[in-house]
Amino acid sequence: MRYDVTTGPIDAHELEAVVTHPGAGAICTFSGIVRDNSRGQSVTHLDYEAYAEMAVPQMRKIGDEIKQRWPAARVAMAHRTGKLEIGEVSVVVSVSCPHRHEAFEACRWGIDRLKESVPIWKKEHAADGTYWIEGDEAKPATG
Amino acid sequence: MAVAIAVRVRFFARLREQSGTEIEALQVPPGATLEDVYDVLRRKHPALEAERKAVRGAINQELSDWSAVVADGDEVAFIPPVSGGH
Repeated sequence: MRYDVTTGPIDAHELEAVVTHPGAGAICTFSGIVRDNSRGQSVTHLDYEAYAEMAVPQMRKIGDEIKQRWPAARVAMAHRTGKLEIGEVSVVVSVSCPHRHEAFEACRWGIDRLKESVPIWKKEHAADGTYWIEGDEAKPATG
Repeated sequence: MAVAIAVRVRFFARLREQSGTEIEALQVPPGATLEDVYDVLRRKHPALEAERKAVRGAINQELSDWSAVVADGDEVAFIPPVSGGH
């Protein structure tokens, strides 16, 4: 198990190395990538900000919940903070399981929970201004 | 009985920009709730989000109800809803 909030680049293979073991026949890895557009506007770059002291325990809690639902699963998660350019990896969730069906399910469940409950915020620098993305809302940044 | 308790307040993301600060020390009366703390902060920083639904409070890194009572030495954080995404 590994849970990181980091300012440096994330290497998905490193997380896969954490979850791999001889009994795991499937590893499912989700990578979130910075897109060049949002809300119909072009995006130049993003800033991610985390409450790291709360985010890491929350990621660990999600990992524990995955282990309760899929007892054979092993989990690693990392989220990057700071300025990210288009095409860079912002988040990775990697889950190993004995078989592919539960690996897909557990990985998807993990990234969905991370997105809705881990205190990390995205600021979009777009053609029409700079916005904080809060759920379905984009709110103008002031800083 | 103490006349005031000291908490450490942290702001993140949009609320950090609105308050103009990341962290501040605050004294509040014993028995103060998260809501009381936020009201004090809104008087100090009028630009802070007025819509209570757009803010969550956390005490010592745990999301807490507005009615939760803060204690001396607590770390209190006010955070916006998280990014979400599809």
